[in-house]
Amino acid sequence: MSIYFELFVNFGIPLLVLMVAYFVGNAIEKKHFREIRAREEKVHGFPVISFATLPPDWRVGSAELVTGSVVVSLDYFKRIIAGLRGLIGGRVKTYEPLLDRARREAVLRMTEDAKARGYDAVINVRLETSRLANARKDGRGTAGVEMLAFGTAITLT
Amino acid sequence: MKFIARKPREGINVSDVHPLTEAGTLVFGLSVIFAAIVLVLVFFVDLVLTFVSSETEVRIFSTWIPDDLISTEADDVRESETRALVERLARHWPDSPYKFRLEVSASETPNAMALPGGLIIVTTALLDRVGTENELAFVLGHEFGHFRNRDHIRQLGRGVALGILFAALRFSKGGGSFGIGIADLTMRGFSRKQESDADSFGLEIVYAEYGHVDESWRFFDRMIRDDYGNSDLVTYFSTHPSGGDRIENLKFHARQHGWPLTGPTTPLTW
Amino acid sequence: MSPESRYPIILSNTETIPGKQIAEFYGLVTGNTVRAKHIGRDIMAGFKNIVGGELKGYTELLQDSRREATERMVEQAQSMGANAVVNVRYATSSIAQGAAELFAYGTAVRVA
Repeated sequence: MSIYFELFVNFGIPLLVLMVAYFVGNAIEKKHFREIRAREEKVHGFPVISFATLPPDWRVGSAELVTGSVVVSLDYFKRIIAGLRGLIGGRVKTYEPLLDRARREAVLRMTEDAKARGYDAVINVRLETSRLANARKDGRGTAGVEMLAFGTAITLT
Repeated sequence: MKFIARKPREGINVSDVHPLTEAGTLVFGLSVIFAAIVLVLVFFVDLVLTFVSSETEVRIFSTWIPDDLISTEADDVRESETRALVERLARHWPDSPYKFRLEVSASETPNAMALPGGLIIVTTALLDRVGTENELAFVLGHEFGHFRNRDHIRQLGRGVALGILFAALRFSKGGGSFGIGIADLTMRGFSRKQESDADSFGLEIVYAEYGHVDESWRFFDRMIRDDYGNSDLVTYFSTHPSGGDRIENLKFHARQHGWPLTGPTTPLTW
Repeated sequence: MSPESRYPIILSNTETIPGKQIAEFYGLVTGNTVRAKHIGRDIMAGFKNIVGGELKGYTELLQDSRREATERMVEQAQSMGANAVVNVRYATSSIAQGAAELFAYGTAVRVA
């Protein structure tokens, strides 16, 4: 078999995947951030807070648990960079946008759900993060990260 | 106590670094770091080597033969003839600390190896392919060159050092293989230098035996025509200098010393 | 005499700041950072693991990262005009092989 073909398989294809991952991943991230900002604008003014002490003038009608969650995964390009970063340590910068947008997405889903169902605020919000292990690699790889937001939705009378 | 809707400033939880900048910095930085680690390892191994004399090496390895060697039949004429050739060629290196031993290994890949204790291994595939005694003599002379420069034992030391480094790198997935790749490429640079040096010595031996260096490059010629490509990229990824360059270097070296490039060749007896 | 505070605004993990009144509250603030430990630390920790005890390298790394997450949360609160964050919670999670996220969140408020 030609050596060029071998080179292409060994280096060309991964490089190609890397480039596609970079451009597509970037586009998806930009789009998601734009979307998040627009949706956050829509629910702006809806109280979402992490404590349960309410202003004395708030009269609570009903309350219910609401949740919002999302599982996201990093694109191949950024994962590779994160892997390189793992050799020397330090801030894994490529992961930050992913976690930021995932967390905002989870909070948004919770808020949108509460708002759509007629509630007026979400109190005592808690945020959780968990890694989903990749079964194919004996659970050592990362299949994705789940962000969960939950709190108590209340109506005010 | 009243609620006032406000939003935090955008981008506080995200570092303002472009992913490509991050990638570039990491790739460049890590390449430099791993190349430096390999340089230190190579230096360290060479340093240790100065404490192990060839005499000590011969004492330890004088009867050693690798366990996985697949020997040929005892009455193989190729083996006895090649042994005789090694004896003759060794006369041109009188102050060699080694008493050379030759073993033929049954293998599909044409190859020759220099191993600790003066052991030379050639594969059956190599013996099947060579066309003249001169061609074979150069291959053996080249291995003599490795012994003279102590590459065989150096290679062993580097192998152990790299093995430890690689084991450490496997700790961290993903990035580890990048480190291994860079370390490997750097090491290959050193190997190429060793091969050229061994070539020069091989040529010297061949000239001393035959009075000319004709056919010395035939084996590389064969390798090029057989399977290997000859692009710069392939050169970079290989431990040996590329065939074409190597032949040119050999001829250049011979001309410099005034050794004739052509002369009567000796046919093989098998 | 007031003790010296580490952050420019008041942080508390209780619902209110004891001794103060919440005048206004603005909403959720978060701060996060993702850190990887370097391979040298990994190897040293591997040795230390044999005998047990504190893994100093990791303690420092996590402290350092958590401080950064807190600083980012404080920065968000300040950008909203808050002078305190109440009900602060911390979370640490491993998000990939060798990388951990340190995360802090709370509610930005103005106390008087």
